[in-house]
Amino acid sequence: MTPTEEGGPVSQVESPVRRAGGEPEGRRGGLLDARLLLLLVVVALGSRSLLAGVFDNPALQTWSTIFVSIAIQALPFLVLGVLVSGALAVLVPPGWLARALPRRDAVAVPAAGLAGAVLPGCECASVPVAGRLRAAGVRPAAALAFMLASPAINPVVLVATAVAFPGRPEVVAARFLASLLTSVVVGLVWSRLGRDEWIDRARTRLVKGDTRWQSFSGTVREDFLQAGGWLVVGAMAAATLQAFVPRPLLDAVAGNHLLAALCLGLLAVVLAICSEADAFVAASLRQFPLDTRLVFLVVGPAVDVKLIAMQVGVFGGRFAARFAPLTFVVAVACALLVGRWLL
Amino acid sequence: MLLVVGATALWLGLTDASLAYVRAALRPALAASGLVLLALAAATLRGAGSAPARPDGRPAGHGHGGRLGAGWLLIVPVLVLLLVAPPALGSFAASRQAPRAGGETGAFPPLPDPVDGAVPLPVSEFVSRALYDERQSLAQARVRVLGFVTPDDGGGYRLARFNVFCCAADAEAYEVAVRGDATPRRADQWLLVEGRWLPEPPLTSVAPSSRRPVLVAEAVTPVRPPADRYEHNLYGI
Repeated sequence: MTPTEEGGPVSQVESPVRRAGGEPEGRRGGLLDARLLLLLVVVALGSRSLLAGVFDNPALQTWSTIFVSIAIQALPFLVLGVLVSGALAVLVPPGWLARALPRRDAVAVPAAGLAGAVLPGCECASVPVAGRLRAAGVRPAAALAFMLASPAINPVVLVATAVAFPGRPEVVAARFLASLLTSVVVGLVWSRLGRDEWIDRARTRLVKGDTRWQSFSGTVREDFLQAGGWLVVGAMAAATLQAFVPRPLLDAVAGNHLLAALCLGLLAVVLAICSEADAFVAASLRQFPLDTRLVFLVVGPAVDVKLIAMQVGVFGGRFAARFAPLTFVVAVACALLVGRWLL
Repeated sequence: MLLVVGATALWLGLTDASLAYVRAALRPALAASGLVLLALAAATLRGAGSAPARPDGRPAGHGHGGRLGAGWLLIVPVLVLLLVAPPALGSFAASRQAPRAGGETGAFPPLPDPVDGAVPLPVSEFVSRALYDERQSLAQARVRVLGFVTPDDGGGYRLARFNVFCCAADAEAYEVAVRGDATPRRADQWLLVEGRWLPEPPLTSVAPSSRRPVLVAEAVTPVRPPADRYEHNLYGI
């Protein structure tokens, strides 16, 4: 493996580099984009009164409310995440992270999973950070373990879980253990079976400016646009799917244990609720046994429509097509195992 | 694009507009994110402006970081907000949900004190007490609830309100069947209803029930919708 100037010993195919100001081509293109955008916004603002009655359909409005609320809820966490990922890309010397983590995956993956506890917030923050970690030279399996663990085991989420299940600390412990286990298992499976070429490196572009500040702001901008764009895709999908979730069917399933676990897992994927809040939703699903609700809590931050979309944006479609089902299966299994033991 | 999203976020954070979608507690975070994005947009513009002149002699000019790519999609929620201006969830969404179980079985704390002759209760609390309270704290009490009209098939209506934990995506509707109000009401009209609960034995299990508690109305007042149309009651847990 040849060391490159971008970062540590990584495999040959490297992330393309961009200058923060943009080459003339990119800048002209950027100028066009900016003008189009401005035009679009001005037209939209101007035509509001004209279009007053057009969007009155209640189904459309309900969909829009849900879509917009998912996007708004995620936005502050996305901003936090890209600020962290930008800082990572710029402040941490290239290769340092890769050298700081243990060499052997069997140790690096659990370490990265535990490290996930330091990044507060929901999954929207963890995807861009994981993308930058990988680009900085961290082994993909470790970066992915971090990405899976952080939305589920950070202090904000654990406190929220404790509040939602008062007097039942074993639920918090179970969530922590099951999510950590999931992230480690998926990381280890990936290090064994995953192939580097499934990750689309071109999606994470290194931005180098004349000053550190320029590199930082350029990176944050890149990450925000990319992750944010795909977040919108995920939010639209989640809003659409929500319209089709047959709640009465869900209630009918509550009796059969395994079926209930699967259904709650799928519900977690479809609902795409932020990990700080899914504890309250799980607490309200009283008709389900506690360990099936743990499945809901473990699957949600690990794989849902929003996450899948963002992973496509940051790592590529080939990655997501393999990673999402793997994570789902492992998450359900880990949750049921830990649930049986602790709950 | 950062300018547009940042400005939108700042506006959402500083006004009541976000209350239709997310909890009020998120507003400072929204405003802060908006400021961060605006600062970044300014930095990008300035930074590109001071970049050294390109070999082809063109000055940096208006300057921008580069193409938007997937970032274009970020305009969609902004446009939807501007053009559709989606309202808080209302009778359409409420009528599509099956009635949910919500509440701890067993004993509830005593009712709060009445204000102006009636006990004001959130709809979700009223429903929880009506369905689950073994001590039947609602019996004999005159209560006041605020909600919006969801028409019934049979010609009557239910008074509903959504309870939200995180954002509108996880909203759950709590509904009360209102009797004794002969005036026809529009869907989504907000009403302040004072009346008494029609007692029924409490539910003994937490399995979902299709029962809706009945409120026999004594005074119904149409009101303007509140700034925050959702309840944020963890009481049902």
